[in-house]
Amino acid sequence: MIKIPPYLKKGATIGITCPAGYMAKEKAATCITILQQWGYQVMVGKTLGSNSNNYFSATDEDRRDELQAMLDDENINTILCGRGGYGVGRIIDALDFTKFKKKPKWIIGFSDITVLHSHIYSNLKIATLHAPMAAAFNDEGFKNEFIQSLQKALAGKKAKYTCAAHAFNKTGTATGELVGGNLSLLAHLTGTASDISTKNKILFIEDIGEYIYSIDRMLYQLKRSGKLKHLAGLIIGGFTDMKDTERPFGKTVQEVLAAIVAEYNYPVCFDFPVSHGKENYALKVGCKYALTVTKKLVRLSEV
Amino acid sequence: MKRKQFISSILPAAALLQPSAAWAAPAYSDEEWAITKPLYLKKGDIIGITCPAGFITLEDIQPAITKLKEWGFEIKIGSTVGKKDFTFGGTDEERLKDFQQMLDDKTVKAIMCARGGYGAVRIIDALDFKKFTAQPKWIIGFSDATVIHSHLIKNFGIASIHSKMCNSFPKDWSKAEPVQIETIESIQKCLTGEKMLYKVVPNDKNKTGIAEGILTGGNLKTIETLAGSKSDINTDGKILFVEDTGEYLYSIDRMFWNLKRTGKLNKLKALIIGGFKIKPAEDPAEEFGKNLYEIVLEKVKEFNYPVCFDFPVGHQKDNFALKCGIKHRLSVQLNECTLKEMR
Repeated sequence: MIKIPPYLKKGATIGITCPAGYMAKEKAATCITILQQWGYQVMVGKTLGSNSNNYFSATDEDRRDELQAMLDDENINTILCGRGGYGVGRIIDALDFTKFKKKPKWIIGFSDITVLHSHIYSNLKIATLHAPMAAAFNDEGFKNEFIQSLQKALAGKKAKYTCAAHAFNKTGTATGELVGGNLSLLAHLTGTASDISTKNKILFIEDIGEYIYSIDRMLYQLKRSGKLKHLAGLIIGGFTDMKDTERPFGKTVQEVLAAIVAEYNYPVCFDFPVSHGKENYALKVGCKYALTVTKKLVRLSEV
Repeated sequence: MKRKQFISSILPAAALLQPSAAWAAPAYSDEEWAITKPLYLKKGDIIGITCPAGFITLEDIQPAITKLKEWGFEIKIGSTVGKKDFTFGGTDEERLKDFQQMLDDKTVKAIMCARGGYGAVRIIDALDFKKFTAQPKWIIGFSDATVIHSHLIKNFGIASIHSKMCNSFPKDWSKAEPVQIETIESIQKCLTGEKMLYKVVPNDKNKTGIAEGILTGGNLKTIETLAGSKSDINTDGKILFVEDTGEYLYSIDRMFWNLKRTGKLNKLKALIIGGFKIKPAEDPAEEFGKNLYEIVLEKVKEFNYPVCFDFPVGHQKDNFALKCGIKHRLSVQLNECTLKEMR
């Protein structure tokens, strides 16, 4: 059984930390203001706007220590990752989830944060939130339905998302726990202690900036490691800023995705609003959802 | 004792030399009996050339054909040479058919992949290795061909040759650099059964020591993308070599974490780091902050096995032919560094 962390009440505290890449403090300013407007208190970690002079927000030790402190601190009710980038994989095995397991809290993020979602789902069976991070609040982003979906998710409202049909969709209905995230990370985690089982689950995937051949190779890895065969359903999110090689691959990324699941009968939807772009609904990893794909529309509702 | 090992131990030795496809997917240990060595080539033997991944023209493989013939071999040109399906050397079906034909044709004594690129993983599960396992032959290639090396050692315990392919043979041999000549000639040495010896320029970042074990490895990204699949290698008790090209440092770091977190660094006998052509960060403000040496050494700091940097293997001129699946002895000393094939 999946454990659902408590939803947030007014006055609850959200901790912001950067477990991966560097983020300037001003880039999270709007996010902090809005979270306060939502009625929450915000505690900002030192990794946000740190004096790091390289790729990471801080050293492995400092990133680990801060995330650990936020996991353990009973006064912090939720952890929002400031941004992704790369770096959670470097500290994941050094985190101690003992206190977190006893008193789960929502962990929010996507992209590199897929490592946390997968690790926590596989090892602790605790739900997490795959959702926009701090920078998505900027440029009036906080007014859009995607940031609002995060607000609703934190408050415990059950999500009911719809999106337009896509010519490549495979119709059908499915119910199952939702797992997934960034395809590169899901592939990379295969065979590790953070690897997920996808049997009877609804899997969602998204990615950014990859070569089409590389997407194809990662999909083959999912397939050959048994992750596509026994799905309840597949949600394909945004595959943005795709690149092609000098010698073109000859298929669009959608064609690559359609080809890999051609042999399966479960429902598949394309272009679901989960992505590195603006379209990025909050999804509760580990929670049960119902997916309906008809010729006219796609619906994903929390059960 | 695992069932597989038990069965092996009661079979006569001769039977062990010909594992069949029915023995699929044993986790081979470093016991020498587990590895089947294809027959070395004699003058007049036929080498088949095929494209399991990227496309190449007949013209572009001419320098290889000329050289292989000079060595006394005959050439069988596969139907995929000159075929083009976008980036691929023919459709999946065409590449599969050609490779299958090369595997099954008894007159073909070795198969050289014309080039890498991407594509072997798209056909590997559809290949039938029954005839090949009954009568193994050398399969030659690197980069994307790491899929084939890994699949063979994992599933059948059959040795293969990690080396340059047709697209690396210099057009004008008289203008070739010594290292090009030497590395191409190392393919001939491997194929004809010469006992291999490699000398490596010592790097002061190396971790010294001496180790013996079966050699396995190849392209790091390819090894990562095989994790969890039936072509995923078991590195316990082995000497692992890795190389890569065109990757960002953060990505190389992530791949070494994959090796570590899938248990591939825990029980090694030794680690060999070949060439790594690093893609610079697009934004200088996003410098990764660690170089290749630091990335590797932090992953193996708790282990005592030798680590050898700058080994001449990779996407570079300095890329010697190596026998995957064969036992080697690596000696990493401060002033001398060698890898020697053992018999």
